[in-house]
Amino acid sequence: MSASEVKALTALFAAGTEAGGLFRTMAEALPVAIYMTDSAGRLTYFNDAAIKLSGGELELGAAHWCMAWKLFLPDGAPLPYEECPIALALKGESALTGIECMAERPDGTRFWFTPYSAVLRDSEGRITGGIHLLVDITKGKNAKIEANEQFRAIVETTPECVKIVKPDGTLLFMNAPGLALVGAATPEAVIGKSIYDLIAPEDRDRFRKFNERVCGGAKAVLEFDIISLQGVRGHMESHAAPFRHVDGSIVQLAITRNMTRRVDDERASLLLKAIVDSSDDAIISKDLDGTITSWNKSAERIFGYTAKEAIGQSITILIPDDRLDEETNILSRLRRGERVDHFETIRRRKDGALLDVSLTISPVKDAQGIDIGASKIARDVSESKRTERAIRTLNAQLTTDLSAMTRMQLLSTRLMQVEDFPVLLDEILGTGVEITGSDMGNIQLLEDGVLKIAAHRGFGASFLDFFRHVHAGEAACGLAMQSGARVIVEDIVVSPIFAGTPALAVMLGAGVRSVQSTPLVSRGGQVLGIFSTHYRSPRKPGDRELRLMDILARQTADLIERKRAEAALLASEARFRQLADAMPQIVWTTRPDGYCDYFNERWYQFSGFDRHTFGDQGWQPILHPEDLPACREAWSTAIATGNLFNIEYRFWDRQEFRWRWFMSRALPVRDAGGHIVKWFGSSTDIDDQKRVEEDLRRANRDLEQFAFSASHDLQEPLRSIKIYSELLTSSYGERLDSQALAFLSYMRSGATRMEMLVRDLLTYTQVTKFERPLELVDTQQVVSTVLENLAGAISEARAQISVGSLPPLRIHNTHLQQLFQNLIGNAIKYRSPDRTPSVQVTAENRNGQWLFAVKDNGIGIDAEYRERIFGLFKRLHTSDEYSGTGIGLAICQRIVDRYHGRIWVESEPGQGSAFRFVLPV
Amino acid sequence: MMDERPRILIVEDNSADVFLIRTAISSAGVDLEIDVLKDGEQAIQHFNEAGAESSVPCPVVVILDINLPKKDGGDVLRHIRKNSRCKESVVIVVSTSDTPGDRLEMAQLGANGYFHKPSGYGDFMKLGDMVKGFLVP
Repeated sequence: MSASEVKALTALFAAGTEAGGLFRTMAEALPVAIYMTDSAGRLTYFNDAAIKLSGGELELGAAHWCMAWKLFLPDGAPLPYEECPIALALKGESALTGIECMAERPDGTRFWFTPYSAVLRDSEGRITGGIHLLVDITKGKNAKIEANEQFRAIVETTPECVKIVKPDGTLLFMNAPGLALVGAATPEAVIGKSIYDLIAPEDRDRFRKFNERVCGGAKAVLEFDIISLQGVRGHMESHAAPFRHVDGSIVQLAITRNMTRRVDDERASLLLKAIVDSSDDAIISKDLDGTITSWNKSAERIFGYTAKEAIGQSITILIPDDRLDEETNILSRLRRGERVDHFETIRRRKDGALLDVSLTISPVKDAQGIDIGASKIARDVSESKRTERAIRTLNAQLTTDLSAMTRMQLLSTRLMQVEDFPVLLDEILGTGVEITGSDMGNIQLLEDGVLKIAAHRGFGASFLDFFRHVHAGEAACGLAMQSGARVIVEDIVVSPIFAGTPALAVMLGAGVRSVQSTPLVSRGGQVLGIFSTHYRSPRKPGDRELRLMDILARQTADLIERKRAEAALLASEARFRQLADAMPQIVWTTRPDGYCDYFNERWYQFSGFDRHTFGDQGWQPILHPEDLPACREAWSTAIATGNLFNIEYRFWDRQEFRWRWFMSRALPVRDAGGHIVKWFGSSTDIDDQKRVEEDLRRANRDLEQFAFSASHDLQEPLRSIKIYSELLTSSYGERLDSQALAFLSYMRSGATRMEMLVRDLLTYTQVTKFERPLELVDTQQVVSTVLENLAGAISEARAQISVGSLPPLRIHNTHLQQLFQNLIGNAIKYRSPDRTPSVQVTAENRNGQWLFAVKDNGIGIDAEYRERIFGLFKRLHTSDEYSGTGIGLAICQRIVDRYHGRIWVESEPGQGSAFRFVLPV
Repeated sequence: MMDERPRILIVEDNSADVFLIRTAISSAGVDLEIDVLKDGEQAIQHFNEAGAESSVPCPVVVILDINLPKKDGGDVLRHIRKNSRCKESVVIVVSTSDTPGDRLEMAQLGANGYFHKPSGYGDFMKLGDMVKGFLVP
């Protein structure tokens, strides 16, 4: 299993998705410890019971199977981790189920458990992990251990020699007085070794027979001699009884009296009785006729008869009537000298209740070897049988649940991996049919108010054809669709839903007797479809089945919703692409991290790249290397801040074989929570625009250069014309007639006027030459300078000039001066001959901009000329009427434009004009 | 070194202005030999020769127009100031331009005077007084 798959699975559970939810619901509901591991045995999931059982802290992804336990086999041998059933299962070896193991928790407490493991495999059959169930069986085990403890208590407090000998003579146990008797310093000196070595050679045969008889189930007494480890002979008397060892075999339990020392015989006998009585098993003996001759305490407890009631009765009082011949059978086997061991059967208590018992029956022979009866050890196995049955049921349930879970788990993985909707529906249906144990099934989707079969199992053509379209209220599925709730029909033959409808015959024809229909409901509560399972016989589905159906229905509904959302998204994406492809711009989208995931058709046309090899760096090869660093930086800044990406750069135009300018802009697309889900960008070809701009700039530069040169070069010849016409007049005036002198005067004044034009034109072209200053300029001061410059004109016209409060401006000193000089100069120049000229210069703040006005009471301007006067060389009067070049207001217009302001005139012809301009602060 | 009368060099391509400059100088009573060169290249060549041979005289005053064919007045002025023999010559720049930029540039290159060519005859004659001012010991 790859790390990503582990992550996906763990994330699945952590995120509480439908699949995880399903697994959890089941896992938490089960009373057994469940945990999941990846193939390396690291925990990927565990339920509450697992935490309780582990007795420690579990950590996902870190802790291993079996956690921090020490493991032991039933015989007490330590079990290495890598050999535990879970490890074996994960290694792909056949998974053992039902074996018993003991584990020791970190705090030293121990418990018994039975592991069940199922491996999870991917589509290629590789093991990707496992689901493990641990059933705690400590309770049953402890009962056995308690009985042993009772025995041990008796044995260890008695001063007599107590020993246990296996049928082959191996000494299994000997208490401290016994060890003293045989002269053993430690238990190891004799235990596990043959008891026969301690018996005097002449008594060995007799002792062997005695031992075998007792181990065969008979009580017996034997006198014999022993030779102690120190070689000391002693005379012994053993009172022995058969005893069930922990491993289930019958051994000899003996109290041995040292006759040499004349120990009280009766006391030993009482002790033996105490031990027999303390046995958990019923120990009964009977004669050959079947009459009960002895009856211990456990026999009283197990069968309900007291010793007094039982002794003298026939053994048949314990045998149920239908098993009477069983006893005859056993007796005949005993007569043949056979021993009947672990015979499991049923016996009857005094109160009539039947018991499961395990019997061990041995013939009892007298000293001459003649059968005199039988000894019977009966163990009540009802409890363990019940437990066994319960465990078997639980096992079966767990195995089913485990396989259901494994199926669901697999399905969840498939839901994430498989894209094909019909395939998924079919797999969901298959899972549903399998885990509910139904015979047939189908999934219908609701389309245009009609249920249509989308997946089916086990149905033939006639059924599919009949139920191709189901309307609300029709059959079980139509009813479920109408009501939005599950419909269960236990037997369609007697159900009013199908009675008298043609559907009944079709259902019966398809072999259906019972059906359940579960609606598939969206998270918004809308019925999307129906999930039905069908059965060949009348039946009522169990809770577990219905619960699984609910879970599957939830998953299916979610899947349908997801698929529909995807389809809607695809449709909207298709619309977007259609639109984007039709656009003349290059359009692209990127993931939130900036990775380009889409380019429109125009991009592929322009770049010549293949549609299938586009990607994040797809644009780089055609980007101008000089523009790359700036572009990269702008893009990463945009990604980091979520702000607009806006940059101009050059792409290589492979058709025109040159670089083209593009303007790229991209905006983030945010979801409802404000998170960026996408970037949407466009690159617009601005090359022509750029070129026009560049051309315009160049033309402007050329014009300025031209005008500047002209100001010098044009003035040279003008100067010569002026000076030489003057020289001609002064030097040769008396020789010229008046007309020649007038011509010379025209020539001079023309040259003078040309000089003015050239000078003003130079001023006009140089407006763009000065940069906006950093410092504020004192407008008041500038206007004072202007008034000084115009002092001659003002006094000549006797003009009254008033200047209001003017704000400082961030406008070049020269510009401000030219502006006011032209406007105030004009106001004086175009005065009315009828009245004293009056000029007001004012400024006021209007919405954050300064509104200036130069207002006069002059001749005014006709409305039709109010625009024209700002044009270059535009004049309303001849030079004879009013001197001027027609450039002054054009200069004003250009200056105001230069600072992104506005200039206009308001005028009443004959009354006066107000030139107004606004300038940004 | 040849002991000759000091000479004035006019570097000016416009004959009309050459006439006015000559008139202005003589009107001011300055009676010196006047040489005239019509473009910047000729002027530079002249100073190169003067720097190499003592037979070619160094002018005491150079009347230098800025706008000249081939090499402009600035180039000529640079050459004069680098010339080993003639670098002490008085250079009066004459120009139609009256921009502060031109005045500053010429001053930095080592011009001694700057005369803005006026468009009146009387005004033009003032150049003579300026030349005379540099010649008075």
